[in-house]
Amino acid sequence: MSARGFGSVLWAGAVAGAALGFYLVSLRVASERAALEDVETDIAMTQRDIRLLQTEIGTRGRLAQLERWNVRFIRLSAPSADQFVDGGFQLATLARPTPKPAIEAPVILASVPVEADAGQPRLTGDADEAGPAIRTSRPVSEMVHVASYSVPQRPELTAPPAPKPVMKPAVTGAKLARTQAATKPVKTATADPLAPLSSANLKAKGSAPKGTSPKTKDSAAD
Amino acid sequence: MNAPTPALVARPERLRLVGQRRQILAVMHQRLMFGMLVYAGIIAIIALRLIYLAAFGDHAGRKGGLTDFAPERADIVDRDGQALARTIDAWTIGLHPSKIIGNKLDLARKLAELMPEKDAATYLQMLRSDRSFYYLRRRSPPDLVAAINALGEPGLALEREPDRLYPQTTLAAHVIGYTDIDGKGNAGMERAFDERLRDPELRGQPLVLSISSRVQQAMEHELGEAMKTFSAIGAAGVVMDIHTGEVLAMTSLPQLNPNAAGQGTPEARFNRATLGVYELGSTFKPFTVAMAMDSGIIKSFGKMYNCPDALHVAGSSIHDTHPFGGACSVADIMRESSNIGTAQIADQVGPTRQKAFLKKMGFLEKVQIELKERGRTLTPGANWNQIETMTVGYGHGIAVTPLHLATGYATLFNGGIYRPATLLKVDRNHAPGKGHRVFSEETSYKMRALLRMVVMKGTGKKAEALGYRIGGKTGTANKAVPGGYSNTRVVTSFAGVFPMDEPRYAMVLMLDEPQPTAETFGYRTAGWNAAPAFGRTVARIAPMLGVRPDKNREPNMAEVLPFVHEKE
Repeated sequence: MSARGFGSVLWAGAVAGAALGFYLVSLRVASERAALEDVETDIAMTQRDIRLLQTEIGTRGRLAQLERWNVRFIRLSAPSADQFVDGGFQLATLARPTPKPAIEAPVILASVPVEADAGQPRLTGDADEAGPAIRTSRPVSEMVHVASYSVPQRPELTAPPAPKPVMKPAVTGAKLARTQAATKPVKTATADPLAPLSSANLKAKGSAPKGTSPKTKDSAAD
Repeated sequence: MNAPTPALVARPERLRLVGQRRQILAVMHQRLMFGMLVYAGIIAIIALRLIYLAAFGDHAGRKGGLTDFAPERADIVDRDGQALARTIDAWTIGLHPSKIIGNKLDLARKLAELMPEKDAATYLQMLRSDRSFYYLRRRSPPDLVAAINALGEPGLALEREPDRLYPQTTLAAHVIGYTDIDGKGNAGMERAFDERLRDPELRGQPLVLSISSRVQQAMEHELGEAMKTFSAIGAAGVVMDIHTGEVLAMTSLPQLNPNAAGQGTPEARFNRATLGVYELGSTFKPFTVAMAMDSGIIKSFGKMYNCPDALHVAGSSIHDTHPFGGACSVADIMRESSNIGTAQIADQVGPTRQKAFLKKMGFLEKVQIELKERGRTLTPGANWNQIETMTVGYGHGIAVTPLHLATGYATLFNGGIYRPATLLKVDRNHAPGKGHRVFSEETSYKMRALLRMVVMKGTGKKAEALGYRIGGKTGTANKAVPGGYSNTRVVTSFAGVFPMDEPRYAMVLMLDEPQPTAETFGYRTAGWNAAPAFGRTVARIAPMLGVRPDKNREPNMAEVLPFVHEKE
């Protein structure tokens, strides 16, 4: 009896619950739609902003302005017919590869042929017969001028140590440079990568990694 | 005590009262019921409405109208999509004199300081007037708007309204045109396509023109330089694709800024390329030769004519700038631009055939293009006799627009088919105009060598741009003044096509009243002013248009070179 009495109440509750459920679904849909609309509005506003910025950039960088800059400062002109190439191959032929310095090239000293009878003007045709005989260059030692700086001797000066510290580094620097210049060509000339290694070289090569390996290990352990 | 007990007998008046009360109660119940039903109905309506809104309605925060963003007026873009005209929101400063609360004198002084186009007295007068609204400034810059806003005066209204902006300013101003302050097209394409641009359904899509901004800029600059150098009063130029009829560039100088079209002079607003008609002189001669070839009169450029120092016809005489004084071939006539020789060729063609050819090329009517600013051509009309035929043969006595001339050259060199010029890009949405044949293909082919020769050896030498195979013809025409022709006021033009071995583009440059300079040795003929500008322009625009310079290519010059007799 009591169940039947509550029946209508339960029904009402169920209907109300269902209605509420539907309403919640509808509310959820509405809020999702609202969010979507917000995004769409954002997109539209952003598009408007992009458009505005594009217009501004376009106006500031208008062709007439670029032309004015070109005429006044950049001064670019239309390319001529010779500046066009047929393709990659022709373009490549225009570029010359940078020459690699040959390591074992013989050293040739620049020499100036000095003619014996330089005082007499000669016809150019005469050179053919007399040329080889006259074209003897002077010995190298004659042509090389040694630049040096000699300290003037001043015996009357009572305090000689004053200029010495100034001079010393200059002298040592020059010495160092001379020794380096002397040793370097010798090194490159003798270092043949294909020649069998000497024992001294082997030692040096083998010792270098030994010295460094513990260091790396230490750092790895840390 | 014989009085009856009142409790036992109901008094009749009392009974009546009970009956009345019942009636009143019934009425009251009825009224209450009615009232309740009304309230219940109202509540039911509200509840139903709420349910409806909950189920189908919009939420409170909805912002309508912004999701479908489309400008008030469609954009105009060039063939590469670069904006030429756009509608943006601009600030407008208005004034409501009745809403002013501050000191009007102070305000007037401040306004005069910020917007110096009017003085303080005028502003004060406006502030004190009875009118409800004034526009103080339309299209005002943001910093001015900020300054006005900082005044904090409620009577000053700041509003946004759509405004037409031309980002490229003067570029192609006569093609694009301009709008009035209410956004209605007043000239150019803005006027011709006003309906289309305002159509709500098409507003979202831009109107694509055939104009190429870069080509347009290059031509405008080179033409402007020539105009400045030779102190010309005006200039016009057209670049056309000869196969489709697309106008790639069209300009009229002096320039006009469509952003402030009202400030331009009438001279600047005038479109010389389509509205102005000019006697374009010797640039007509190739047409006369082509007509004669099509009519079978000229079979080879070696055909000889007698070219005396002056030709007397019907009471007037025709002169040459470089008289031959003897026999000359057709090739010589073109090379030296001989009026006498061309007049004889035109005479052989005759007025009927000449008229028919000119009609087929569209030279007797307004030029065919979308613009509404189109000039009526001037022709001899009914009075088209021998001497008129001769003068028309070398471009005098007939006045056409520079665009007519460009269309004519396109017709002559695209294989002989006339096609109307168009300012809309030819693509899937817009087919090229319907063409019809004017010249035979063979004539079109042979003419290439003839015009190339003019640039290689004739009057057009200065138009040469190495490798671009320019072919063309100079034209110098004396301007008609009251009582005859002026000797000092001339219209010079150069009409040409490139690359001549495979023609693709036609270009016409025209200078209005150029003056001689020291560099031109006192000459004012087209070979000295229009031709060099042509060569420079081609050197700039041809690479943009995909024409590669090639010094090893030439048209078939064997058609014409054997018949050139140069005086050594």
